[in-house]
Amino acid sequence: MKYWQGIFFMVCLCLGHSLHAQTITICPSCETKSIKEGVEIAVDYDTLLIKAGTYKEFNIHIDKPLTLIGQNLPIIDGEDKGEIITVTADGVILDGLKIINVGTSYTKDHAAIRMIKNKNFEIRNVVLEKLFFGIYLEKASHGKIINNKIKGDAVDEFGSGNGIHLWYAKNIEIIGNEIRNVRDGIYFEFADNCTVKNNHSHNNVRYGLHFMFSNHDVYENNVFENNGAGVAVMFSKFIDMRHNIFRENWGTASYGLLLKEINDAEIIGNTFEENTIGISIEGTNRIAYNKNNFIGNGWALRVRGAIYGNTFTNNNFLYNSFDLSYNSNLNDNVFDKNYWSEYTGYDLDKDGIGDVPYRPVKLFSYIVNRTPETIILLRSLFMDIIDFSEKVSPVFTPDNLLDANPLMKKAGSKEPQLAVKSK
Amino acid sequence: MKYTSILLISLLILGGCKIDSDPINYGSDACHYCSMTIVDKQHATEYVTDTGKAFKFDAIECMMNDLKDTNDTKIALFLVNDFENPGQLINGTKATYLISKNITSPMGGNLSAFENRAAADSVQSELQGELFTWEELKKRLTNQ
Repeated sequence: MKYWQGIFFMVCLCLGHSLHAQTITICPSCETKSIKEGVEIAVDYDTLLIKAGTYKEFNIHIDKPLTLIGQNLPIIDGEDKGEIITVTADGVILDGLKIINVGTSYTKDHAAIRMIKNKNFEIRNVVLEKLFFGIYLEKASHGKIINNKIKGDAVDEFGSGNGIHLWYAKNIEIIGNEIRNVRDGIYFEFADNCTVKNNHSHNNVRYGLHFMFSNHDVYENNVFENNGAGVAVMFSKFIDMRHNIFRENWGTASYGLLLKEINDAEIIGNTFEENTIGISIEGTNRIAYNKNNFIGNGWALRVRGAIYGNTFTNNNFLYNSFDLSYNSNLNDNVFDKNYWSEYTGYDLDKDGIGDVPYRPVKLFSYIVNRTPETIILLRSLFMDIIDFSEKVSPVFTPDNLLDANPLMKKAGSKEPQLAVKSK
Repeated sequence: MKYTSILLISLLILGGCKIDSDPINYGSDACHYCSMTIVDKQHATEYVTDTGKAFKFDAIECMMNDLKDTNDTKIALFLVNDFENPGQLINGTKATYLISKNITSPMGGNLSAFENRAAADSVQSELQGELFTWEELKKRLTNQ
């Protein structure tokens, strides 16, 4: 009985505590005029309701679990003086704020919002402009970053920071954000078990999304457009890449996706459209490329060596200048059952699979690889002739590099292959 | 007349062979070692071979990794960015290097270069870390 009383008392205490959480209203004409003041007088689990207006503040340090809600997008103007909001407490929610003018520095990475060693936070509906770093997670975990708009002003300026920057972070969800004109839209360094979904990262100076030393992450349904290069995945393991669109990443050193020293990844259902290079591949092991579309790229795939156990199946290669450039042995990599728009074979037994194998490496691509200047001969009759002669009897290109079962119809097209067979 | 013009032409040709640094196009050049686009004006580096070909890197650690399997007697110039004057390429063999976990560099080496030893000292006292000369750094990172 005594126990029950004790527990009842405890429950009452807890309820009472949460019921006492107050809302503090902040506005230029209120009793509490600044956010700093609000944070100071607030106790744990209070809500700060920030009304529309401009608040010229920086170095706002939130060290207790608070919810900050902006009404009609109040502006916090840092006046280029340094970092604006720093959070060190667990369970902080930031919602509906506009933060501008983050200070730039060479030795300190000032951010609009920085999370340090905390968890269970949420940053949503925040607008960041004129920034150095946008949202910076430093050893933070279990957080959500949802529906934010981040717009830098890095056009030709390279002293810029990243939009969303994760450094030693875990279990973070990044969903539905728009990020533009920063250095890297989203940057992961030592970030594990994170999800990146439905984001639009475009016009960034370097990458739309960048992984370094990060494992077990998923990114899906994102659009990476018009960045210096689309996405770079480097020195990472177990990354899932699904249903993303990589578009218009043009430039001499540009690509839709860069894979460098990565193991055990899956690249499924993505679209690579109008990039100088669709995927640049170097030092990758056990990667499955499945059901991707490569449309109108300079090179769909550029393999730069040291790859093992990569399988390319059911992909569509449509109207690329080169489908594949390859500079080493085939090793144990497999090309099987892909659709190649350049394929000129026939299908006499009507099983939907071409009767002669397709060789994706053209002699010309081999020559361009060795002497880049020869690209000027692209689409010349001379090149067509030597490509044809190479196709008939391969001398320079690896003769085992072929797709033995090229599809006659696009993979995933409406008419399934079985239907073709039954005709 | 003929001789002088020949002399002039050969001088011009020889003059054109001078080994010099090649400016880094930030935002479009890619690192020779790691393929990343070079954007960081504080950490980008390059070396120029004795035939005048420039190889560019996004970070000092990338250049060091590349030097592991490159014959560096064929390299005429080592250039690094001065941390204090970003975009200013300086002689790498005379620079002072700082490895500090409080200054991140593009490829995880936490490595920066300074033209001026005193500047390196003051940054070190503020942000901690360890200072190296070119030779010490090479020994540590390339095991040569």
